[in-house]
Amino acid sequence: MRSNWNRWFRARQQKVSADAAMVGSELMQKWLKTSSIATIAAVVACLAAGPKETAAQTLDGESIVNSACSSCHKRLPDGGVDRISAMRKTPEGWDMTLARMMIVHGAEFTPEERQAMVKYLADTQGLAPEESAPFRYILERRPNVIETIPDEDLGTMCARCHSYSRVALQRRPKAEWLKLVHFHLGQWPTIEYQALGRDRNWWEIASTKIPETLEKAFPLNTVAWNNWQKQEKKNLEGMWQVVGRRPGVGAFAGTLKVDSDGGDHYAAVYDLSFADGKTWSGRGKSIVYTGYEWRGSSQLADDAVNEVLVVSDDGNSMAGRWFLESADEVGGDFHAVRMEKGVSDIIAVEPSHLRAGTSAEISIHGVGLNGPVSLGDGVSVTKMISATPENIRLEVKAASDAADGLRDVQVGKTKGTGALAVYRKLDSVLVEPAYGIARVGGGFTPPVTAQFEAVGYLNGADGTAGTEDDVRVGVMPATWSVEDFNEVAADMKDVAFAGTMQQDGVFVPAMAGPNPQRKYSTNNAGDLKVVAKVADGDGQLEGSGRLIVTVQRWNDPPIR
Amino acid sequence: MKHVKSLNKKARLVEKALEEGKVEEVRAMQVVAGCSSTLDPGWEIDPFGGVAGLCQPMEADLYGCSDPCWWPAQVPDTLNTYPDWNKGADSAQRDWRLLQAVFPKK
Repeated sequence: MRSNWNRWFRARQQKVSADAAMVGSELMQKWLKTSSIATIAAVVACLAAGPKETAAQTLDGESIVNSACSSCHKRLPDGGVDRISAMRKTPEGWDMTLARMMIVHGAEFTPEERQAMVKYLADTQGLAPEESAPFRYILERRPNVIETIPDEDLGTMCARCHSYSRVALQRRPKAEWLKLVHFHLGQWPTIEYQALGRDRNWWEIASTKIPETLEKAFPLNTVAWNNWQKQEKKNLEGMWQVVGRRPGVGAFAGTLKVDSDGGDHYAAVYDLSFADGKTWSGRGKSIVYTGYEWRGSSQLADDAVNEVLVVSDDGNSMAGRWFLESADEVGGDFHAVRMEKGVSDIIAVEPSHLRAGTSAEISIHGVGLNGPVSLGDGVSVTKMISATPENIRLEVKAASDAADGLRDVQVGKTKGTGALAVYRKLDSVLVEPAYGIARVGGGFTPPVTAQFEAVGYLNGADGTAGTEDDVRVGVMPATWSVEDFNEVAADMKDVAFAGTMQQDGVFVPAMAGPNPQRKYSTNNAGDLKVVAKVADGDGQLEGSGRLIVTVQRWNDPPIR
Repeated sequence: MKHVKSLNKKARLVEKALEEGKVEEVRAMQVVAGCSSTLDPGWEIDPFGGVAGLCQPMEADLYGCSDPCWWPAQVPDTLNTYPDWNKGADSAQRDWRLLQAVFPKK
């Protein structure tokens, strides 16, 4: 691994010299274009099956844990291993533990050994599906999530540096949580005199109250985990129907063929295409951890893609997010349903909205689709273009008096609840995310772009925008621009320096490093207002969000 | 604050927050998951939710932060965990392009 890294490092050094002659967004644009053809390091995500997965499959994770770890961790009388047996984690959590052993304690594992150990540990000491369910966003690497933290003490103690979910995806007894506190203080001693440390009796809180709270919230032994261990794990071989989204581009749909590659390892063949007909197909490998955690690594057209999915309890659906291996902020929802006799489901209707008084072509994506199509009162099918059990293409017309709002789509006995929105005039437009982050990039650190979308809403029954009964109509085409968010930003000319807002809703940040052209030679950071203008009939609606363009990070583990 | 006068904009912002009784609100601000806003000031975001209060250009004091483990979840600490992170990149202002991500993916 190290020699590969060094080779890449040398190649990058040569490129860095050339880059030094270029400045600002010119370089960033060039970088983004070249990254897709892998001039940026194509480091295969450790958890997805890489080219050497065959070797990892034949390794016995339990034996490696017992031999490699036992040189430091003593064996316990009950057959367990000191420390290791007293915690449960996600695959990513265990991988970060092994990485820490390598970095801090000099442990040496081959990539295959590391993968085999993660598999064994996540299988035998993982989290049950309901335990990881509230925190999928961090495993799926969804950008711009603002967490809901139920406990103020834990928020202050843990989430002022990293995500709360990084903690909430672990299970330990109190004594182990206390050891984690000790580790934090030993490894980063200034923790005690940083803000929210020095201004209270930090050690007393950290060493008494916090381990108790954590044990109560996230104990080692749970009914959920006991039950999950007893449950039969499903074989995922077979044909699946897939529907997903690429924000800024649109929906894609197609098939996934899953073949066994031995044990919980699978080979995947994707045959996908976007609504405009552009194909996005290819092959991949995956490993299923803990009986339900699909981690895939695929090459779809020009994109190296990772998938983080949850397999449903019945083994008939998988849902989660895909993202680019070289830029995990670029990605979207992914939903697959098994094509099997007796299974029928409407996964999505695309486009998902229709203006009253207009005609449009729509696709109903699903499995086992059979029977007459009903789109509710006022929406009629004018032409059946094609129909298979997985895809029905229709020409439809919404009457000018069709009722506003979400309606159910029915194919035979299969119902898609609220799958189609009908509207005559949008009431408001929201920019999503409302608060986004982009990062400047350069040298060895790629830029982090931010994708915004304009979403049209109806006011709902109360006639007021911004209330709970608002109806989400869908993503609308928009004209994009940025403004300085406030007076300070205007004074620093953030709009001029922070980067470029593209018309696909993607903000491309400018170059990292001190910028001598800016006041104080400050970085190309910025505080921007993102404005979307959406044409609606004869009028125009406007929505806005906030974008923080900030500095790079160099510590970037899978759970941040 | 009666006997202390703010000298710069950042200090005046803090003073304003004090006057408006927004100190707690400012310090406990929620940011995007995985970002840090509160370590005098934050790494990604300042306590006011923007970037004007950050130490920037951050390269001016980067090694003064990485050595004492400031923002260790974002910036590799050279005190204990990654002592060689900035080896060969003696000046952050000049050599920042050489700094690499530290998580071993394989």
